[in-house]
Amino acid sequence: MPSFISNFKQRLRLPRMFFRRPTRAEQIHGGPPLEFERPIPPLQWRGITVVVVLIALAATVGWELYARALGYGPTLDGNDDLWAMARRKVEPESIVVIGDSRAFYDVDLDEIEKGLGKRPIQLASGGMCGFPVLEDLANDQSFHGTIICSVVPRLLFAPPGTPPFERGEKAVKRFHSQTPAQRMSEYLAIFLQEHIAFLKPDDLSLEALLSQLPIPNRPGALVPPRLPPYFQTIDRERRARMWEKCADPNGALARKIQQIWIPLFTLPPPPTYIPKEMFFAGMNQAIEQRFHDIVAAVERIRSRGGKIVFVRFPRTGELQKIEDRDTPREKTWDPLLKMTGAPGIYYSDFPELSGFDCPEWSHLSAGDSVEFTRRLVPRLRAALQL
Amino acid sequence: MLFNSLTFVVFFVVVVTLYWGISNWTARKNLLVVASYIFYGAWNPPFAALLFGTTAMDFWLGRQMGRVQDRQSRRHWLVASVCMNLSMLGFFKYGNFLLQNFQWALARVGIVYQPPHLDILLPVGISFYTFHSLSYTLDIYRGVLQPTRSLRDFVLAVSFFPQLVAGPIVRAGDFLPQLVHPPRLKTNQFLWGLALMTLGLFEKIVLADTLLSGSADRVFGYPGPLVALDSWAGVLAFAGQIFCDFAGYSLTAIGAALTLGFHLKDNFRFPYAAIGFSDFWRRWHISLSTFLRDYLYIPLGGNQVAPLRAAANLVIVMFLGGLWHGAAWTFVVWGLLHGSYLVIERVVRVFFEQKPWAGRLPVRLLAGFATYVAVCIAWVFFRASDFTIASRMLTGMFGGHPNGDAILATRELLQIGIVTAGLISVHWAMRDDAFETTVMKLPAWAVTTIWSVMAVGIIFTQGSSNAFIYFQF
Repeated sequence: MPSFISNFKQRLRLPRMFFRRPTRAEQIHGGPPLEFERPIPPLQWRGITVVVVLIALAATVGWELYARALGYGPTLDGNDDLWAMARRKVEPESIVVIGDSRAFYDVDLDEIEKGLGKRPIQLASGGMCGFPVLEDLANDQSFHGTIICSVVPRLLFAPPGTPPFERGEKAVKRFHSQTPAQRMSEYLAIFLQEHIAFLKPDDLSLEALLSQLPIPNRPGALVPPRLPPYFQTIDRERRARMWEKCADPNGALARKIQQIWIPLFTLPPPPTYIPKEMFFAGMNQAIEQRFHDIVAAVERIRSRGGKIVFVRFPRTGELQKIEDRDTPREKTWDPLLKMTGAPGIYYSDFPELSGFDCPEWSHLSAGDSVEFTRRLVPRLRAALQL
Repeated sequence: MLFNSLTFVVFFVVVVTLYWGISNWTARKNLLVVASYIFYGAWNPPFAALLFGTTAMDFWLGRQMGRVQDRQSRRHWLVASVCMNLSMLGFFKYGNFLLQNFQWALARVGIVYQPPHLDILLPVGISFYTFHSLSYTLDIYRGVLQPTRSLRDFVLAVSFFPQLVAGPIVRAGDFLPQLVHPPRLKTNQFLWGLALMTLGLFEKIVLADTLLSGSADRVFGYPGPLVALDSWAGVLAFAGQIFCDFAGYSLTAIGAALTLGFHLKDNFRFPYAAIGFSDFWRRWHISLSTFLRDYLYIPLGGNQVAPLRAAANLVIVMFLGGLWHGAAWTFVVWGLLHGSYLVIERVVRVFFEQKPWAGRLPVRLLAGFATYVAVCIAWVFFRASDFTIASRMLTGMFGGHPNGDAILATRELLQIGIVTAGLISVHWAMRDDAFETTVMKLPAWAVTTIWSVMAVGIIFTQGSSNAFIYFQF
């Protein structure tokens, strides 16, 4: 009778399959034909494939017709690859627009070209902190052009790790690390997006559709506020124009977006896992640091003969009140100009730039953006001493 | 290029059309070599030269090994191959990690040393193609493979684009024989390959990227403590994500190879229905576990040694398996955890395996559940970027943060719950069958419906070409 120990040893053998020696089939090598063949389920694959293709085609066409019936049209997706494509066009003396969605919507490239003599390159993006882009241009030793930088304090001073900062960081990273395959995919995607209306990741992707389900969240859950739906068209130069459907301030879409801006632009409560004092001290330090980093970046660009002008674009309604309350001009805009010594254009300082109505409180309609830029150009010329 | 990118769609259509359009077998193989290098070079063209360099070196070393008979000389050539491959892997993948640990060790004895940060770009898929290539010289040394005379065939075996960057790890001995005779175009095989590709891409684009990855990223990226529900939801989301991501890639690779007439073995076999950890490793990343078994565990003595030594061998294998996944101690802990699980399982089996109730369904279900939970706990170390995060996650999972934050939306919790339940149910339903057997049992209309839903799901998802997780390894 085997002892307990020998029995134990025998049974302590490690898992059989994991440790077994390879079978002959696994040792097949050059010469004899392969014995391993994947089984193919014996079904009518030809017929199945035809039906699958027909169903997929029908669903795609149906979805496209539905999207067009809702008013959507083909337009480009303002993703990082499109941004990288624009960034590649930056030449040493280019005029570059950077910052957030206000510069993205409110700057008309044609008007800038007419007024400043050069076609600008649009590098601003929705919800983007312009600092990573500014720093990237400052680090680009060949760049000594002109920068038009939009200032929305909540975004420009967003600390590292926050979504606005990461948006800028990701775009810059994409530009520096974009592979040939990604470039190729972007060209193919542009072709599709210019012809297919339902390619709207903000509204019509599976993820967007799921996020629109009216499911209430747990009380106290720290769920990020919703982002606004699609309300712009974008072309190959990244010129964004407000969708006409949104241009009516009393329209449903504009009103919906207005209500989305309120939580997005309201300062969130401090996190629960850090003492409040420590959190606010950290935030103040981060903002202080950002001022210094911007000054350093501006100095580097200027030392090479480059220029920069900061611009505050119009905003209206409740959003204007929130911004003025949380990020007052005297604590953001004024010290920024003072510390950098750079010129700035604050829209409300100039009668011709004031009085524009932002349908959804944050951006100008496509038509107004052209008129606003036309009026902005002389101010830009003066500020940049052109 | 990524399988889930538009570039790949165009590339694949062109390659498949040309491949089946050419009648000459040599020309077809040349086409596949060129296509594979374009596929790889589309990430970073200079790294294609590195891939060719290591491949050519192993080809030459294999030939040298084949020419000599005595064991000592063969061993020298093998050592040269292993050193060449592992030093390449070590430099690109572990260079900075080794320097950091060297710095840490010196600091422990009071020496301050500031190593230079090596700005090394990791060649994509280097861990995979190194193993593809290494299997060739190892098998020649073991005497189970003859060196091939064709450099082109060996280059194709290592670089064959479906399996090049993220597996399955296809051994040269499994692939080279398939290059002897030209495959014939078989309609059913071709279409089944397309169906597998659809399923693989559905797992990646719809399940992993759309329904799970966002929640996993938010939970593991959250800097504060989380309540148990959100902690577990994040871990379950990652467990589902990594399976769908990696198994999805493997399935797409298998399908793509099949459309070209090549047969790659399964890399996953319903791992979340595993009962026990040895069973798990027979089902998860099979090509890696068998590679480690044949080339590491057995040479170490396997289970033909004293029990303690066998257990140590097992832990060593899993330690290195963990390190293979990434240059970080968190991966090492993940591997060691699995090594410990395997050893504990064997000890537990000694006492319980022969019990009459051991094979009953409720016991098997309970054992399966325990396996899944333990695997999920190990995933925490795999996903967390450092031990602080891992520790915070584990504390949260076991109720250590009753006042922590809740950050997931109800919709996200539902998504995770539904996908996890669906995944586990499917795995349990199919655990004892081959995937093909299950499909065979379905009526044609059901297969058509499932395939259509997946295809439409992919189109409607409008994915953004997120990289596969295993590319980083």
